[in-house]
Amino acid sequence: MRKKRGKAILSTGAVLVLFCIALLLISRLLEPKYMTELEEGSFISQYYREAGGHDVIFLGDCEVYANFSPLELYRDYGITAYIRGTPQQLVWMSYYVAEETFRYETPRVLVFNVNALRYSEPVSEAYNRLTIDKMRWSGSKVGIILASMTEEEQFLSYVFPILRYHSRFDRLTREDFAYFVGGKENFFNGFQLHTEVVPAGTLPVKKVLPDYRFEEICCQYLDKLRLLCEEKGTDLVLVKAPSLYPYWYEEYDAQIKEYAAEYGLSYYNFVERSEDIGLDFSKDTYDGGYHLNLSGAVKLSRYFGNILAEEYGLADHREDPELAAVYDKKLQKYDDIIEERLREQEDEADRQGTVDRGITGGINGLRPGSGAGAEYQYRCRQPGVCR
Amino acid sequence: MMINLLLFAAGLGVYAGYGISMVYLLAVTLAGYLAGRLIPRHHSVMWISVVLQVLVLLLLRVRNWLPWPPVVAPIGISYFTLQIIAYHVDLYRGKYEPEKNLLTFGLFVTYLPHLFMGPIEPYAGMRAALEERKISGDSFLKGAVRSLWGLFKKLVIAARTGVIVSAISGEPERFQGAFALAAMLLYAVQLYADFSGGMDIVLGVSRMLGIRMSENFDAPYLAQSVREFWRRWHITLGDWLREYVYIPLGGSRRGKRRRFLNTMVTFLVSGIWHGGKYLLWGLLHGFFVFLGEKFRIGSKTLNRIGTFLVVSFLWSFFIWPDTATVLRMAGSVFTVFNYDVLLAGIGGMGLSGGDWIVLGAACLLLWMYDWKSRALKARFCAFPTAARVGVIGLLALTVLTFGRYGIGFTASEFIYSGF
Repeated sequence: MRKKRGKAILSTGAVLVLFCIALLLISRLLEPKYMTELEEGSFISQYYREAGGHDVIFLGDCEVYANFSPLELYRDYGITAYIRGTPQQLVWMSYYVAEETFRYETPRVLVFNVNALRYSEPVSEAYNRLTIDKMRWSGSKVGIILASMTEEEQFLSYVFPILRYHSRFDRLTREDFAYFVGGKENFFNGFQLHTEVVPAGTLPVKKVLPDYRFEEICCQYLDKLRLLCEEKGTDLVLVKAPSLYPYWYEEYDAQIKEYAAEYGLSYYNFVERSEDIGLDFSKDTYDGGYHLNLSGAVKLSRYFGNILAEEYGLADHREDPELAAVYDKKLQKYDDIIEERLREQEDEADRQGTVDRGITGGINGLRPGSGAGAEYQYRCRQPGVCR
Repeated sequence: MMINLLLFAAGLGVYAGYGISMVYLLAVTLAGYLAGRLIPRHHSVMWISVVLQVLVLLLLRVRNWLPWPPVVAPIGISYFTLQIIAYHVDLYRGKYEPEKNLLTFGLFVTYLPHLFMGPIEPYAGMRAALEERKISGDSFLKGAVRSLWGLFKKLVIAARTGVIVSAISGEPERFQGAFALAAMLLYAVQLYADFSGGMDIVLGVSRMLGIRMSENFDAPYLAQSVREFWRRWHITLGDWLREYVYIPLGGSRRGKRRRFLNTMVTFLVSGIWHGGKYLLWGLLHGFFVFLGEKFRIGSKTLNRIGTFLVVSFLWSFFIWPDTATVLRMAGSVFTVFNYDVLLAGIGGMGLSGGDWIVLGAACLLLWMYDWKSRALKARFCAFPTAARVGVIGLLALTVLTFGRYGIGFTASEFIYSGF
């Protein structure tokens, strides 16, 4: 009798294990992979493969992953950097991502893009997912979920993604099967490459806001981020990435300057320094002034790299053979992909017959240079053609 | 005792979320209990109780037609009112002794799983179920599979058919003819999957708690006549109407005419119970009960199809907002010939190709289950525990994957919790 009961318990246990495995597999299949579409959603998970040993970690929204290129920082200054930016990463998200990052490494400098301080409420569930879904489970993930959830969301759906993504059963694509296990490698250390050019045009009207003060919750999380960095001995650097829109109001800027002065932090407003950087929003943006393209990112990275190297005394790792081997491979891939993208754009432009090939030697003039600091200049006569 | 107290508290706790309705529920429970204690000695109390409760129910049913400020009906009032009326009438008839324990009576009224949509449990049955409550691994597994089957019906079938029915019923001027017919047929499926799915959850959860409650459905769309349909659909309401309306009126013992009249009155009461606008629906059902007796075809299949069509047609009263629209839409089935554009039109109403495949497969599964439910239940019971857990797991995965729930879907309440 006892033997029979033991057998029944064992077989029931085995069925339960099978159920759990099936649940995991189905969940995995149904989850978006963010490999070819919305690739920003995979930035968070790609970090885990390369966690550790970075001098600089960037945190923030799209203004960090579109505007700074870590590989350019390495190419020009030998600085190792990684961007842990995600779409619409709000300040509490940045805090928890920082907290998680410190589990893997303690960078010398943590760069936080202050644009997020203007938002005091979660923007949408979709944005939350792009940051949170692929995070590994830890106290930081629990914290970020609880801090970010919109009213319609439930914690359980982060634990069991099938509760959120079950409706994808009839929208599965080849990507869902191809990346069922593993994902694409990120060669750019969290940078999103855009080679297109869409010059800045007419921007929305600058609205007068009823109140420019940052909300209490944003200030609280900025404090927490600052204290976390202090505790870990990391320099917190505040930046405002250059963009023409959304407007970075003077009132915002004043508050950050005051905050930075009060706590002895560095704050760099790159909107103000656009001219010094050499940004030309008729060439250096891929979406009309909201974000920089590769050309702009190269200029900004070179400018900021100089600050990082001089102000923070970050070591030049180009002479470190072990790191050089890794980064040379990355740079090679980076340049190859840029080359490929530009060629595709050239072909597309050829098909449309709208690109002026006579002034700079055509799009070939935009190729990555052979040495460090090569400048990518490309231009396009009609906005949107190269999109 | 402790579990009864917990169940009672759970019912009240959830009901507290409905605000002022909670006061009514508590008042009616206490009044019902006290009246029950008095009825054996003072028969008139039964009449007072019944008249008052019927009056409240009637006023709520016709409240939209009265020049009063809007009154919110306490949720589930139709169910617990009928239970209390039945209890008082049975006490009047001397069927059993009044319940002395206020907690047991309170649980009879407020038992959470059935508070919102039945089944309308007779007091004797509920008391026996509570007394014989026994939680075991076997009852837990049976309850779990039953609950999941209910969720399957609700989230996989009813939620999908509901998308199309809502799209069609939302624009009666635009969608007539073939679309109206499609709405009627799909609503028949939706209502059955929704209501019987809800019942499966109620009965399944109860079973997991070791409590066996009355069945409310027995494969109603396999009925061969409208009369048989009512023996298989909302069984506890049918039983209540027979016991406390039809039989007191004389039932079938006083000649054909009187039987016809009693039947019509019983269905009229059924209509009123559903709401003021369902009077004609109730009468038509009574009419088709008789018609079905006169016109019976030899073929079982044809009888089943005919019954399904008639019942589906009559569900129109639940789809469209008023009787005039119902009659217009029903008429359009025969007068507006747009059957050639039906598939293209329905294809753009919010269900994907995958949804249609899932819906088709799920309906087939539901039909097969109804067809062979007894054999399937017996087979499930004969399975070893591991296999039963496997079936539960498979069902859970199916519901999790193919159910329509969560963000992006409109969460809909059970249709019959609105009565």
